[in-house]
Amino acid sequence: MQRWSEEVARDPRSLAFLPLARAYRKQGLRDASLHLCLRGLEAHPAHVEGHGLLAMLYLDDGDHERAADEWSMVLRVDTNNFEALRGMGFCYLEQDRLSKARQMLERAALLRPSDPTVQEALRVLGTRQEIVEKGLSSSADPAFGDDPWAVPTGEPVFMFDAGTEAENAGQQASSPAPEAMPPAAAPVSRPPPAVPITGPLPLDPTLLFDDLLNAGPLLAALLVDVNGMVLAGRLTEGVRGDPAVLGAVLGGAIGEATRTAHHLVLGVWRGILLDSEHAMLHLAPAGSDAVMVLAARRDAPAGWVLRASTHAVGQARQFMEEYA
Amino acid sequence: MNELFIAAVERLSRVAGVRGALLVEGETGVTVISDLREGVNETAVAALAASLFRRTAAASETADFGRLNTLQLEADDGHVVAVDAGELILVVVAEHDAQLGLVRYEAHRAAESLS
Repeated sequence: MQRWSEEVARDPRSLAFLPLARAYRKQGLRDASLHLCLRGLEAHPAHVEGHGLLAMLYLDDGDHERAADEWSMVLRVDTNNFEALRGMGFCYLEQDRLSKARQMLERAALLRPSDPTVQEALRVLGTRQEIVEKGLSSSADPAFGDDPWAVPTGEPVFMFDAGTEAENAGQQASSPAPEAMPPAAAPVSRPPPAVPITGPLPLDPTLLFDDLLNAGPLLAALLVDVNGMVLAGRLTEGVRGDPAVLGAVLGGAIGEATRTAHHLVLGVWRGILLDSEHAMLHLAPAGSDAVMVLAARRDAPAGWVLRASTHAVGQARQFMEEYA
Repeated sequence: MNELFIAAVERLSRVAGVRGALLVEGETGVTVISDLREGVNETAVAALAASLFRRTAAASETADFGRLNTLQLEADDGHVVAVDAGELILVVVAEHDAQLGLVRYEAHRAAESLS
């Protein structure tokens, strides 16, 4: 740093401004980094990495507009710049320009397929587009049975702000304008409603959630008690492992989730969403001493998983009431 | 390295709706850096968050679902987002109405810079 610092002091046009500004940013010296970066860009207005760093500095401050300006400059010079594509994708997502966001993020994903932030943003995007499409096509829940991914629920329990995507749809949704950035996975902010289940419960508890397991992208649905014992449900055929072991590991999550929420004064816990390499899991309390565990394929929309979880919790409660 | 941790946690704490963040050793649950509001038992939070992360990560591996990247605990009055940062776990506490997409994005970026 000393060498770069001396170099910049000796020659204000030196390209050493970039590593020095990066080092300042890493140390949390945001103002010094910004000052140096702006001065460097005055001398080198087409410096791609300088604009990229400036974008990151603006993003650190939450100034997405300025960050987007800088990234768009980067892309004018270097059309395959990963950081800029990712950053622009995120900014478009924030502005609810979903198709543009997808364009950018998919290009970024081609360059770095395993980048978790791009995958996360694409998942948020997918969920939002799904909600927008649903909002435009019909206000009613899809009927369970016709749509293999539909989940039968009494009422939706997760609230997405249905955004507008005029550039895609050519029309406006009836819902109000969205917030700047949607939740990645919409919060379940109140207890799941009781879900009326038609017909008798299956005699074999392993088949309790088969309507869900057979309908969508689910890999597992297990009802586990606080001691880690599996009460109902099963893993699908493609899933390796023993449900009893999975239950034993996850049973203790109930107490830990309760205590974590308590220590942070967050009230009652409503769910845990887990993103793994190959699956998305959701844990939801089913009464005070059991947890509903759902696992879905990695490409399943988070909103779908949450709805499926709500439905499964309803079934689990009915099961526990009847067989208590 | 310490400055890097502090900068990452401070950056996260500036995101709208974020109440605080802490960096925890994955194995031991010991706090490395914390920026939680006063009155919160950070030792307990760090230990519990790490334990919850380890437990769910173990479950994920047991079922062959692969490495756990992110854990998001939803509660009535807020959220906890925990992100894998190599040997560390980055834990972010957010308000109920926080923009979770942004929180998760920033948490991943911060974790990326740390691991």
